[in-house]
Amino acid sequence: MKTAYRYFSVLSIAMTLVFAACHKEKPPVPEPVANEHGHIIFSFVHKVDGQNAIYDSMMYVNAAGNPYLVTDVQYFISDITLHKSDGSNKMITSKSIYYIDTKIPSTLSWSVADEIPIGSYNSISFTFGIDSAKNVSYIFPNPPESNMEWPIPLGGGYHMMKLNGKYKDLSNIEQNFNAHIGIGMDTTGGNTSFVQNYFSTTLPSSSFTIAKDDIRQIPIIMNIDSWFKTPTNFDFNVYGQNIMQNQTAMHIIVQNGFDVFTTGTILKKEK
Amino acid sequence: MKRKIGNSVYLLCFILIAFYACKKDAPLPGSPDEEYKPTPYTIQIPKYFPSLLNIPADNPMTVEGIELGRYLYYDGRLCGKVDTLMTCASCHTQSHAFENGIGHGYGVTGIPTPHVMMSHQNLVFNSSGYLWNGKLYAGNPAYSTPTTYGGILEDVGWMAIVAPWECYSDTNASKAMIQSISMYPPLFKKAFGSDVVTFKNIAKAIAQFVRTLISSDSKFDKYLRGEAQLTPSELNGYVIFNTEKGDCFHCHGTILFTTNQFYNNAKDSVFTDVNDRYLVTHNPADIGAYKAPTLRNIEVTGPYMHDGRYTTLDQVINFYSDSLVWSPSVSPLMKKVNDGGLGLTPSEKADLKAFLLTLTDHTFLTNPAFSKPAGLP
Repeated sequence: MKTAYRYFSVLSIAMTLVFAACHKEKPPVPEPVANEHGHIIFSFVHKVDGQNAIYDSMMYVNAAGNPYLVTDVQYFISDITLHKSDGSNKMITSKSIYYIDTKIPSTLSWSVADEIPIGSYNSISFTFGIDSAKNVSYIFPNPPESNMEWPIPLGGGYHMMKLNGKYKDLSNIEQNFNAHIGIGMDTTGGNTSFVQNYFSTTLPSSSFTIAKDDIRQIPIIMNIDSWFKTPTNFDFNVYGQNIMQNQTAMHIIVQNGFDVFTTGTILKKEK
Repeated sequence: MKRKIGNSVYLLCFILIAFYACKKDAPLPGSPDEEYKPTPYTIQIPKYFPSLLNIPADNPMTVEGIELGRYLYYDGRLCGKVDTLMTCASCHTQSHAFENGIGHGYGVTGIPTPHVMMSHQNLVFNSSGYLWNGKLYAGNPAYSTPTTYGGILEDVGWMAIVAPWECYSDTNASKAMIQSISMYPPLFKKAFGSDVVTFKNIAKAIAQFVRTLISSDSKFDKYLRGEAQLTPSELNGYVIFNTEKGDCFHCHGTILFTTNQFYNNAKDSVFTDVNDRYLVTHNPADIGAYKAPTLRNIEVTGPYMHDGRYTTLDQVINFYSDSLVWSPSVSPLMKKVNDGGLGLTPSEKADLKAFLLTLTDHTFLTNPAFSKPAGLP
């Protein structure tokens, strides 16, 4: 009996060791946490004269009376911030700079990775372009963003916007135009200094509420024609085809930019 | 005491058995598992270059795959024909940055290629489609067949075999020929785990080799790295290139000296080439548009433009300065088209050319790792 007991003990120890050697660690079971957030999806819409933009067709007339067409628009927005009435805000941090390209459909919808705290938000603001601290050459090694580079001799960093198209001049001849915005140069007094052309904008009527696990679809609309009016009409016959080295022309477009962006109806996405 | 020793022995045996039972089986000597151990190859990304690499998941880079690809790239038997020794390198020579330096290529039939050669350099950084019109792009249904790869660099090898202006052969003949050459089955075994040659693996190996062809050591690169200084003329050309004076950067910008996008650059007012970008997009705005080729090694990659109409860099610069022509689909980036061009002065043209010559990468053009390997006919 004693012998049997001894053998049983040895066998037990051995089996324990065998199982311990082969046993896989079980992953820890995560503790359930409160899920007090929702999500947002931005969609980017481009309009001319209140209608969805039609590209490559000479069908628009700007406020200065220039017939024009739009071929494509590329631009950055950054530091998108959602503001609550209590003064707190939520800045989108999963991607601080976002690139939109009318020729790349995948850029026209952005499912934001950030968790958005539930609650009521009064407004949405963002920077058009990239602020001076971040707008530095080579931060984007890969296309399509890298193709927005703004040459180093002109201040470096990246185009904030490329708005390309064609217009009919006073002789009714089609001319190309590049309304490109980036770091400007001020050569007043014979000295060259660089001018930042990014600006902050707050979307009008951009309040929304987000509940737990909600997904809100927020359209951000660029009204392309607004770049060329209010407060100053932008006349292609005056400013010509290219303005990257014309800070006066870029400044007019930037000043006109305050009302370029609006929102559409913010909807709750059904799951 | 004896019993205690006996128990200890039992315990030890159990432990040994337990550990043996949990141990993974080692490959048997001579088994396929033991022999197929390709060495992963990591592309060293040069400073400022894209980090995004166009390498398909099913064709990872390996030292053995690249070595095999290099042999195949230079082997005239790849066509699978006994009466030709045409190779990839027949039209893509290293001294010309892996294009031919004469314009159109002529295959075994004497039929010219639709366009002049494009160089094989820095293609691993391109995800916008290959060839002048970009028709070789991932997801193109035309290349989603059992014998093709879905429109990626691997399909260039397939095209080289079947196109009338190249080998004008078939993939079965090619793989049979390669299979019959004694040096190749062991190389395929090392690269892909089987000594049975398949055309898919031929194309994969060639694509791996082509992806290693990276040019990043020109005088301008050295200037960016602080290792060389540009002359005043070269610096002035750099400024012309990168301002609206020359406005080269919009299409030939970034560290790659190409956006890999497609533009009608105001060469013509009437278009007859059916292989332009319009073929791919069917967008009238793309009529007469072609890929902006990289300007790296531009000194040795003439003749220039998709049809090789200009034989010298001076002619190209004169064209952009003085000879642009309007067409309805001309790129809006060609802003001076109605003025005939940029209107550069002779000294500005000379400076711009001087800068372009700083893009020649002699290290790349003579790198032994890219040259014809020994042992090939």
